Amino acid sequence: MALLELKGVASYYGNVQALKGLSLHVNQGELVTLLGANGAGKSTTLKTISGLVQPAQGEVWFEGRPIHRLGPEAIAKLGISHVPEGRRIFPGLTVRENIMLGTSTRGRLPRAQMADEVEQMFAIFPEIKKFENALGWTLSGGQQQMLAVARGLMARPKLLLLDEPSLGLAPLIVQNLFGTIREIRSLGTTILLVEQNANMALSVADRGYVLETGSLTVEGTPQDLLDNEEVRAAYLGGHHG
Amino acid sequence: MQVLFDNLQVLFQGLALGSIYSLVALGFVLIIRATNVVNFAQGDFAMLGAYSMVLFFTGLGWPYWVSFVGALAAMAVFGVIFNYGVYYPLRHRSFLPVVISTLGASIFLQNTVLAVFGPQPRPLEKVLAADGVNIGGVFLDSQYLVILAVTLALVLFTYLFFEHTLLGKKLQATSQDKDMARLLGIPVALMISITFIYSAVLGGIAGVLVGPILFVSIGMGSIIALKAFAATIIGGFGDVTGAIVGGLLLGVIESMAAYHISVPYKDAYAFLALFIFLLFRPSGIFGEKVSEKA
Repeated sequence: MALLELKGVASYYGNVQALKGLSLHVNQGELVTLLGANGAGKSTTLKTISGLVQPAQGEVWFEGRPIHRLGPEAIAKLGISHVPEGRRIFPGLTVRENIMLGTSTRGRLPRAQMADEVEQMFAIFPEIKKFENALGWTLSGGQQQMLAVARGLMARPKLLLLDEPSLGLAPLIVQNLFGTIREIRSLGTTILLVEQNANMALSVADRGYVLETGSLTVEGTPQDLLDNEEVRAAYLGGHHG
Repeated sequence: MQVLFDNLQVLFQGLALGSIYSLVALGFVLIIRATNVVNFAQGDFAMLGAYSMVLFFTGLGWPYWVSFVGALAAMAVFGVIFNYGVYYPLRHRSFLPVVISTLGASIFLQNTVLAVFGPQPRPLEKVLAADGVNIGGVFLDSQYLVILAVTLALVLFTYLFFEHTLLGKKLQATSQDKDMARLLGIPVALMISITFIYSAVLGGIAGVLVGPILFVSIGMGSIIALKAFAATIIGGFGDVTGAIVGGLLLGVIESMAAYHISVPYKDAYAFLALFIFLLFRPSGIFGEKVSEKA
């Protein structure tokens, strides 16, 4: 049974239909990537899963139960952690505080355990350790992205939704970040990764979907997608050379 | 020498009066930060707190401290009712409907109290029986001393609560980015409820404390709220420290000007100060350049 399943989901953004009968699934332990151009509906897909957008039609199932009528708070409590596009760091809170708030779904943690888990995050993202008492808005884009992922991981999610983690980052930082994503996945977290950087995404994914104006066009293993002429043309920079 | 003493005396009274403005202004700012809405019924929280005190202490004859705690408990309950009755149903609407809703609530509250208690202003006991102390020619009224001490304690408590507890951080997170807070599983509706409770209790305390000085009346909240609102602008709109400093400053300006220039224009000085700030430093003392929130 799939950990997450979307069945014929249609979502609207105002009067614009962003998703048109989308169906996809993510199995336990998988890293699945959702590719597509700007405006294809990738972010809306994640927002529909995490409850920020309610689907007009269709169903979202998580661990064998429907969740599409639940609010974001309730869905977060079920173990879905959404790291949205734009990082959405709390600008007026420190790096440490931002990370700590990631545990909000887990009830009250003993002080020592909290400190311990924050340190674990700094072990994964050593670059932000030295800014632990700096306010969120003072970080660079790459640091904010690391902080956003760290905050998302503090929920100990069963499913991590990552929205364009590479957006606006320097190539070297993207390399590092994807190394970390691979690491997180190897620790057993299931990941649904939305990316425009198709090459990077496919290098870490088990499976991929290609989304085009609200519906899926192609699905398969990274190799299938890499071999697909249309996918190559649209997202991987040119035809077979 | 006497001139110095007199000025110190006026400064002391100004700070005490300013403390009341600070407490109400703090309530303003906490709600502005949590909901992006100016609560025009903020002053009526003070009025309601004072009337609860009149009801419990004068009306029902409860002991003073029981009445005080009762009045604060009543304000806490009222904060929840206010949230769900006035703000919550309109939370997805723009700024304006909510502001109008709080204005309506203000009119409703004042007239309800008028219907129950009548138009006659009510006296209220001071917190301490003692008159006050005389230090080297400066008379420190006990009620003013209590106001200063309570305000100091509340400011300290507010600081510790917001800066050193996880709940305080969740409240801050809620005011900074509600959708992100919800994605992290922070119960945003509860956080906003807590803000209204806290804000109502702060207003209630201000009302109970200022009651013995101003008399308890239907309109007491309106004038305090106007001053407190001016204080939030002078301090820097939406800034917590600014609200406290702005309130104190306004109290001192008002008292000093009344003493040195003319008493009948007492209320005008506060607004004159507001004009001057709006003209020359609209961002206030602590304010950054405010950009319109999306």
